Amino acid sequence: MRIVNALRQADLRGLVLPLAFLALWYAVTRLQLVNTKLIVPPGAVLDAAWKVVASGQLLAGLQASLVRDLSGFAAGSAAGIALGLLLGVSRWAERLVGPTFHTLKQISLFAWLPLLSTWLGTGEAAKILFVALSAFYPVALNTFEGVRGVTRAQVEVARVLGFNRRQLAWRLVLPAASPQIATGLHLALLYAWLATIGAEYLLGASSHGIGNVVIRGKAAFHVELIIVGMLLIGLVGMALNRLAAAVEARVLHWRGPGH
Amino acid sequence: MNTASSSVAYAPPSAAPLAPLVPRWRRLAAWLAARALALATGLVLPLLLLAFWQYAVDRHWLAEQILPPPSLVRDSLVELWDNGDLTSNLAISLKRLGWSLLIGGGSGLLLGLAMGVSRTVKAYVYPGFQLVSQFPVIGWVPLLIIFAGIGEALKVSAISIAVVVPVAVNTYQGIRNIPRALLEVAAVYRFSFWQTIRRLVLPAASSSIFNGLRQGVMQAWLSLVFVELLASSEGIGYLMVWGRQLLQLDIVVVGMIVIGAVGIVLDRLLAWCASRLHGWQRRAY
Amino acid sequence: MTLPSFKRRTALRGLAAATAALALPSVALAQDRPKVIRISYSGAGTGGRPITGGTIISTAHQQGALEKEFAKDGIKIQWTFNPGAGPATNEQLANGLADFAHHGDLPIIIGRSTGLRTKILFSYTRFGSSYITGPIDSQAKSLEDLKGKRLAVFKGTASQLTLGRILKKHGLTERDFKTVSMDGDTLRAAIATKDVDAGFIAPFDLAARGVGKLIYETGPDPDLTAQGVFWASEEFERKYPDIVQRVVTTLIRVAAWSSDEKNRDAQYKLWSNSGTSYYEYQKTFADTPLKWRLSPLLDEYFVDNLRKSIQQAKEFKLIRRDVDINGWLAPQYLNTALKDLKLEGYWPEFNAAGKPRVAQK
Repeated sequence: MRIVNALRQADLRGLVLPLAFLALWYAVTRLQLVNTKLIVPPGAVLDAAWKVVASGQLLAGLQASLVRDLSGFAAGSAAGIALGLLLGVSRWAERLVGPTFHTLKQISLFAWLPLLSTWLGTGEAAKILFVALSAFYPVALNTFEGVRGVTRAQVEVARVLGFNRRQLAWRLVLPAASPQIATGLHLALLYAWLATIGAEYLLGASSHGIGNVVIRGKAAFHVELIIVGMLLIGLVGMALNRLAAAVEARVLHWRGPGH
Repeated sequence: MNTASSSVAYAPPSAAPLAPLVPRWRRLAAWLAARALALATGLVLPLLLLAFWQYAVDRHWLAEQILPPPSLVRDSLVELWDNGDLTSNLAISLKRLGWSLLIGGGSGLLLGLAMGVSRTVKAYVYPGFQLVSQFPVIGWVPLLIIFAGIGEALKVSAISIAVVVPVAVNTYQGIRNIPRALLEVAAVYRFSFWQTIRRLVLPAASSSIFNGLRQGVMQAWLSLVFVELLASSEGIGYLMVWGRQLLQLDIVVVGMIVIGAVGIVLDRLLAWCASRLHGWQRRAY
Repeated sequence: MTLPSFKRRTALRGLAAATAALALPSVALAQDRPKVIRISYSGAGTGGRPITGGTIISTAHQQGALEKEFAKDGIKIQWTFNPGAGPATNEQLANGLADFAHHGDLPIIIGRSTGLRTKILFSYTRFGSSYITGPIDSQAKSLEDLKGKRLAVFKGTASQLTLGRILKKHGLTERDFKTVSMDGDTLRAAIATKDVDAGFIAPFDLAARGVGKLIYETGPDPDLTAQGVFWASEEFERKYPDIVQRVVTTLIRVAAWSSDEKNRDAQYKLWSNSGTSYYEYQKTFADTPLKWRLSPLLDEYFVDNLRKSIQQAKEFKLIRRDVDINGWLAPQYLNTALKDLKLEGYWPEFNAAGKPRVAQK
């Protein structure tokens, strides 16, 4: 009953455009108005999707990509939180490391890839390091700002309570900065997925991953395979985005209504 | 790689304010000294890294073919600048960036405006837009390559897509956040639709729009490097591919330096524009 | 009946010691052998698949010749196929990840000019025709027609040097065109979608599919063709010369099989597993005897061509430092292999002009 009510209340107008697009796509290929080699019919895409899923290729590739993504993300985020904390807490660290950090940040992410892949080869190491790099910057920047936002009063209370350095960091600063850190992690998750796919496009014809499914499709001129791969990449990106947003909302909620 | 939350460009800590009774030149001297100190401390780490780099080269931690010595990088930078290769490729990349910003920024602005202003448009377009916007830009590239080939059309369209999303999102949100009170005042003054847009909506949402533009520029630069690395015959990314194919990694590093430099210039330019904009806003209210 | 416990322990200890003593010499011997032989191939099949065609090395890989040879020693053969071709192999060598490789002349010259240390063991391809192919509706009839248009070649590979030679012969340079760098797969797709005006690739598959057309062909001109080399890294050669000899002998045996006209058809079939069709190999290998195309000899033609390549690489600004040919070739392995396999004189020697020196057997 609730579902029906929700459906009735939901604004279905949002579905009009996507459905119209699908209809147009189907019509155009059915009526052979375009080169069906290039603009393949939706049926063919579904067909290819089914084949690729059934062959287990897709799942294996997805798994490989996600492993790379998440391990790079974890490594980069951990390093980012550490550096952000250091820069935020210590004035001197900020004066010494800050300018270099902010300058290196300006080097567009993918510009690092040729060098990294030359040094580490096209194997997992280079890709994971690259993904870690992509996650590192947003997390570090946001942690830094979050730590900076900790007020003097809070630190004084902690001192009065006799916190030592480690407790100060662990039980005051990081929790206080957690909304910004959560934002940083959210961004990092998005960037990490971007970096994973980008690295797969640019680096590996010989390894596994969703990006490689697309590349193989491009090489063999299977447009269906490309579309399937693209859709999957988009879906995973969306899923990660939703997940991160949910976690972020949770953290903000924990902080209380004052935020 | 600018992030949403960091909209203010990094600036070194400024000198503590002095009492107004101190003579001007003393204040100036103190300010200069503080700046010099900031510069010096900022340079410590880079110089250490440079020394470390040279040390790694001397000790052959990596083969000399893939770890070029700093001197070679500097020489290549000068050489590429002199023979015009660097400037011509950079010009091409910047031209692409410019076109994409124009096309992508323009469409993003229009889209965000339409969604923000009209309820119906929002109802029809926003869900689909949300779906598409969460798609990583580079996911589009292989499909675009099939349809648009690898010429300029591909590159400009791929980079434009990267710009549309942040601009549209921020424009839409900026408009949504306009306080009701302002809209009511406009109604009282009987502003026509276009007057409302021109004299209320755009100025009120301008900081959000500008924020979106800023993110768009950074996304564009990111995608530009990617697209040029993937498929190009000219441009800064191509220069890096070229260097790598010929096992001249110093050219790759030169490319990175130039990309970083452009990133810095873009960032500072946008920060300056943002501060001018904010200044205007303060004066108006 | 069980032994008293301490006697059993002693006996066990003695047995352990004896086994160790027996094992020790083989352990010591194992130090003289590598556990793995790493071979890099500067190319890959379509879509990056790890099966290739067109050279005797591909044949050897698919026939498993080296695996069979070294199975008894327990040495594994690790093949790495690089879609990034010669430049990628160079990077692997720089990282110490390759012991042997199949390589085009330009990339290996580039490698040597930046200080990579290798020893050339034998050659493997020459006298192949080169082709410039365009999209199906191309109006160009010659290279001059393509001036200012987009010309694609895989930069950093032997193809770039051959293209340079072809252009030079017609009084042109790369700068007269908008040259783009693309690998084989990308290039084929680009011609099909009319993305480039011409590319340095064989036309046959594309023509058969109706998307490509031959614009220019060199024919088997000895002045223009590129040659490939098979090398060992200097380090590996110094440490394990006997392994190098065995590798060379095995590969020369395969080369003899490949060069036999009887096996032409079977070889095409093997090569077609790479994704390039039987038809295309048939057309591109049609015009010259196999013994000429696949000759591994380091003869006068080879050395002269190598010198020319070095000089042209410098001229086309593809390398920055000079390359010294002295000490680069290691023909002793090839000569021993030829003697052991009684194949001396099987392949004709060519002089610098590309003409056979002695009549073929």
